[in-house]
Amino acid sequence: MAANIRPSGVFDTDYAQDISINRTLWDRIASNGLFLVLLVLPFVLPSDWITLIIKISIFAVAAQGLNILLGYTGQISLGHAAFMAVGAYSAGVFVREFGFTFWTALPAAAFFTGCVGLIFGLPSLRVKGFYLAMATLAAQYIIIWMIENPLEPVTLGVEPLPLEAHKPVFFGTELSKTGLYYVIIPLSVMLFLAARNLTRTRIGRAFISVRDNDLAAELLGINVFVYKLQAFFISALFAGVAGVMLAFSEQTLITSQFPLLISIELLAMLVIGGTGYPLGPLFGAAFVLLVNQRLVPELLPPISDFLRDTLTFLPSENIQGALTPLLFGVILALFLIIEPRGLAYRWEILKISWKIRPFSY
Amino acid sequence: MAANTTSPQESWTSTIDFERIIRWSGYVAVLAFLVWLVPQIGDNPRGYIQATISGFLTGGIYALVAVGIVMINKASGVFNFAHGAMMLITSLVFYSFFTTPTADYNILVVVALAVSTVVMFLAMNSWRDLLNPQSAVLGAVASVVIVGLMFIGGDSWNLIHALVGAVTTAILIGLMIERFSIRPLVGQPVFTLILMTLALERIFYGLSIMIWGSIDKSLSLFSGVLDQSGVAENPAWKLPRTIRVDVSPFLDESARLTNINLDARLVIAFVIAIIIFVAFVLFFQYTNVGLAMRATSENQVLAQSVGMRVRAILAAAWGIATLLALAAGVLYGGSAQIGIGMPGLVFLAFPAVLLGGLESISGALIGGLIIGIVQLWADTLLPGTQAGTQLAPYVILMIVLVIRPDGLFGQKRIERI
Repeated sequence: MAANIRPSGVFDTDYAQDISINRTLWDRIASNGLFLVLLVLPFVLPSDWITLIIKISIFAVAAQGLNILLGYTGQISLGHAAFMAVGAYSAGVFVREFGFTFWTALPAAAFFTGCVGLIFGLPSLRVKGFYLAMATLAAQYIIIWMIENPLEPVTLGVEPLPLEAHKPVFFGTELSKTGLYYVIIPLSVMLFLAARNLTRTRIGRAFISVRDNDLAAELLGINVFVYKLQAFFISALFAGVAGVMLAFSEQTLITSQFPLLISIELLAMLVIGGTGYPLGPLFGAAFVLLVNQRLVPELLPPISDFLRDTLTFLPSENIQGALTPLLFGVILALFLIIEPRGLAYRWEILKISWKIRPFSY
Repeated sequence: MAANTTSPQESWTSTIDFERIIRWSGYVAVLAFLVWLVPQIGDNPRGYIQATISGFLTGGIYALVAVGIVMINKASGVFNFAHGAMMLITSLVFYSFFTTPTADYNILVVVALAVSTVVMFLAMNSWRDLLNPQSAVLGAVASVVIVGLMFIGGDSWNLIHALVGAVTTAILIGLMIERFSIRPLVGQPVFTLILMTLALERIFYGLSIMIWGSIDKSLSLFSGVLDQSGVAENPAWKLPRTIRVDVSPFLDESARLTNINLDARLVIAFVIAIIIFVAFVLFFQYTNVGLAMRATSENQVLAQSVGMRVRAILAAAWGIATLLALAAGVLYGGSAQIGIGMPGLVFLAFPAVLLGGLESISGALIGGLIIGIVQLWADTLLPGTQAGTQLAPYVILMIVLVIRPDGLFGQKRIERI
């Protein structure tokens, strides 16, 4: 990857240096400084921004799961919102029915989601490409139907599942919104580091070889099926963790939080951010959510005024509901045509041009 | 492939034939389901006959949706997730032209529509074709004919006006999709194309809501036909314009009710859907353009090397698929309603496509009919759970993927892993 470029004069003297993430002192200072910034953010930002940052990190984790599946292993999934729903609802059921706490429900729900992911990863043995997209689409519908109908006694079906009484407790104190920030952000950072590390292990290299050419990978002695199932498991695990975090930050669960549209949005986040880059999901989630939650409300009054004056036949009450899907579709289409490698690719280029300044090559 | 050959690798997985295990567990699941199902049918034979016939009729429209998806898949090699939204927007255009009196048509809009469609049509292969003086004359004549057709007659010709307007719009939309969103992505991975169709779905959905709002619209398309054939409104049955069929000779005395209700609008929609389907198949099998399309879907490079204009053929495929979307949308709107739930229909058509086989056009028909029947059976089996729209088609999909991924009639060239 392009990040191999270092300032001149920095050489590797052993293998550990060659695979290390932070090559130089300034890399280390920058990344540790970023953690410090994340640490003090709740004291300087208003609370609605904190809510948005929590949401961004939750969706970034879910998109990172999808990135492991799609960006590294090359298996498409259209059912990731349903995997998030499995994580969220299983955590909800665990704390409500079985008396789990947040700290025990989190790993249990994540593991359970991973196992559900395995079931829907089974068709990947026989099919790929579109067919796999269809299998995961089936997962999206079947899982939501299961939550709404046969499991209704514990999940309350289409009714909201309240979790207010089960806030996460940390050493005897219930966590507030800011407290939750200090749980969710370190967890997300750790999961991102884990995903980054995964690409440097035997499993990660096997994933990438399966993505690039599965026949060649098989010839090299890689058991393609097992690695695909592992990818499904890890990916669903990430989605499950994201679901648990969503459940405890929103305090109520409802199945309409996890429609097919969210699965599509996760895919869009991945494309916009950059498929196959460790930081891609973060860029994508931040971009999509900032556009949806900050930019669209800002743009709405001027655009609807403009449309009302120019295209007078449009009923003005429809514009509000129409603008979100329209903008989403246009942005996604533009990214696909103009920059299919996403924001993370731009970021790499920016980093390289900074490191080799003042020369342009 | 992996599991059947002995691999040199010594791991626990190479000794187990996963593929066979999964396939046989699929067979066992289907068998167990059938064993559970049969006694249920015995309880309520009339309900299941009713569900079968109504499902069959609905399945005709699904088949029309499915064949549009198969068409795009054969041409561009992509599953068109935007097909439902294309149905929505084209049928809403039809609705607008159909319900507006001819005198209220905006002449500027009609002329712009005709001219832009003709321009896109002439530039199907490349923009340079527009410079050809012959095509300029042809385009002018075609535009005049379209505009003339839109204003000929009076309000009594409204159906013709709506058809011409909607067909023109549909062709324009299809050609523009191919030109501006699919053609720039040639050579990109499949996943990029899928996402592009998802983006298109969002765009068309947003446009439909922006222009027509999100309230369901009923298209009273078949009322003239129904009035002439003497099927009257029947408030007593709480179903609009229903045909009652007496099935007592086929059922024994134990069946509680011996009448089957058929929605008359659905019957007409089914007949028209099948006619369009057959026309499409004939076009695809027996015309030069259809032959060129089949050749292109077989091998683009080879088709290009024998002198076919592959770009124009792909554009034409999108135009025809949009026309099929228009037909399905109008028939669905005529038999039920045009509403923002329509884009969801495409997710019911995908199981039909896979069940019939990705490359097979007759498979799309069979698959659509089966999905229609299965849907209503599931609704009868598990009432009140929306099992028909949310569960049954996808269970079928999973079973097909596990047991027979190439579908009932598909070519067995799916890449095995």
